[in-house]
Amino acid sequence: MISVEDLNHSFKIGKKGKEKRVPVLKRVTFNVQDGEIVSIVGKSGSGKSTLLHIMAGFMHADSGVIRVNGVETSSFNEAENAKFRLDNFGFIFQNFQLMPGLTAFENVELPLKLKGVNQTERQQKVQSLMQHVGLTNVQDHYPNELSGGQQQRVSIARALITDPPVIFADEPTGSLDSETEQDVLLLIQSLNKARNITFVIITHDDEVARTADRVYTMRDGELSEGGMHDAV
Amino acid sequence: MQFKDQVGFIRQHIKKNKLRVFMTVLAATMGTAFLIVLASVGFGIHETIRDQMLSNRLVTEVQVHQSEESGDPGEHVEEIKKLAHVKAVVDRQQLGTNQMSLFGEFEGNHVLVVTDFKEEGKVGFALKEGRLPQNANEVVVGSHFTDYLYSEEETESGDFKTYEGDLIGEQFTYRIDDVEGEFVEEELTLTIVGIGENPSREWVSDRNIYAHDAIIPELERIHYSDHVTGSDDHPDASQLFYHDVAVYVDKLENVKMVSNALRDKQYYVFSIADELEQIDVFFLALKAGLVFVGTIAILIASIGIFNTMTMAVTERTREIGVMKAIGADPKLIRRLFLMESAWIGIIGTVLAVVISYAVSAVSNYLLPIIVSAALGEEDFSELNVTFSVIPWQLVLIASAISISVAMISGWRPARKATKIDVINALRQEL
Repeated sequence: MISVEDLNHSFKIGKKGKEKRVPVLKRVTFNVQDGEIVSIVGKSGSGKSTLLHIMAGFMHADSGVIRVNGVETSSFNEAENAKFRLDNFGFIFQNFQLMPGLTAFENVELPLKLKGVNQTERQQKVQSLMQHVGLTNVQDHYPNELSGGQQQRVSIARALITDPPVIFADEPTGSLDSETEQDVLLLIQSLNKARNITFVIITHDDEVARTADRVYTMRDGELSEGGMHDAV
Repeated sequence: MQFKDQVGFIRQHIKKNKLRVFMTVLAATMGTAFLIVLASVGFGIHETIRDQMLSNRLVTEVQVHQSEESGDPGEHVEEIKKLAHVKAVVDRQQLGTNQMSLFGEFEGNHVLVVTDFKEEGKVGFALKEGRLPQNANEVVVGSHFTDYLYSEEETESGDFKTYEGDLIGEQFTYRIDDVEGEFVEEELTLTIVGIGENPSREWVSDRNIYAHDAIIPELERIHYSDHVTGSDDHPDASQLFYHDVAVYVDKLENVKMVSNALRDKQYYVFSIADELEQIDVFFLALKAGLVFVGTIAILIASIGIFNTMTMAVTERTREIGVMKAIGADPKLIRRLFLMESAWIGIIGTVLAVVISYAVSAVSNYLLPIIVSAALGEEDFSELNVTFSVIPWQLVLIASAISISVAMISGWRPARKATKIDVINALRQEL
């Protein structure tokens, strides 16, 4: 499904002219199989979010190759990346990243609007998905009128609405209490089973990592298979 | 994204910042309205001057006068007729001597004009009544013929009595003077067979007596009847008549060509088109200047649009980041912002056009009243002076300038929006 080969990346830091290059990803190589949940764990600053950003096409790596379903995405330009994301990826963010001026329904509808789907089809798809994730009763609420768990459900629904084969989740439960965290993790697992969606979850939480089929650990820019404790 | 959804997206953002967008639209409206109204004054004065010029003369008429090298144009009418684009050549021969008409008890102060009725007919000489003359003793009189008949007798109200009967078929006697300036005893009896159409300008009086060229030998014989034949100062017919030659061109755009052809033949030429051309050039420069000054106002308004759009991009950085993250094409992001600035430009322009027409109408109505009151000239308001005219071309130019400036102002912020880094945008606090 996703193959990452020999990915290297470094950031420039310091004043202009006196910049230093700090490596954040070092020869990262791994694969994600179709329909599996993979979690990448690591401490803050270990490079796990950078890895997700590069895999999602938000930025380019210094070197290395990424393939999604055999398509080399690492050579895409910005517009090609945007199109590929719209068709193949869904995103779940730690702080939900909902549009404050749109209702829950409209937030979920947004990717379909970007794809140019007509209104009738949009209405049907969003309605059905809202029902599936249990948001029908709050569909006309604005994000600031929803609880954290509800907002993350809206965010998950928005990620699912285009039926993407892959969903990237960046600390999906980071802003939630433990009870809501369990709800969201169960939802992710059920969606993975029911729809065969591949999940790549970035987390520093072992609890979240345990829901994954495979766990990778990122430490100082180097990736290794196994949980944090295993790695240690 | 479907166009309908793009419009909905923009509408939603405008709703969120109503006041700011309103103020920006207001600035765009004021700038555009200023341009239109300012330039409309140039158009108004131009139109007034053109109307004044054209109302007095025929626009396709070229007056031809003799120069030292050219010879009398009246002698070369047939040659002039052969020039390209010449519709008619009217050679009106007027008597250069004292003349008098006697109509029963009335004495007339008229002018006898010998002309070619066929050529006159080509350029609109028409009869109100009767027919054209067929021999030397038949004439057509101008529509104001009776206004120039005077009687010694006064009416009860104290005015001079005027003739009020029919003219067609009536006869009158016509006398001219001799070479010494004394009226000759011999009279000509002329029959009125037609009355000319009223001149198109209300204030022009037509008191002419139009005669067939067959009358010329008769008049010459009378005028020179006392002259000693064979003397050194033998009469020359051209001294009795002077030619007033006017060439009529088929179309306004060909007037210049015909004028130049006549100039090549050394004639002195005057046409309204020559004068109009100079005035048009002057007013074109004036109007361009006014549009330029007005454009500065729009440019000032564009600063407002630039600010509004820059603020909009800054405020929506996170939203733009989210849209880009979930797959919005950078071109779509740019289009949405450009559409928003264009919307401000379009609404501003539409309002400006409506306001400008209102200001123009009110100023055309009120200014003559104010000016006449201020100057104490009551006639001023009746002079038909147009202060402001807004032709569709001006609306088109102003709209193009306004909408283009609005879009250019929005271009940089829109470009900035497409350059927003997704990762940094997503890190922004809610």
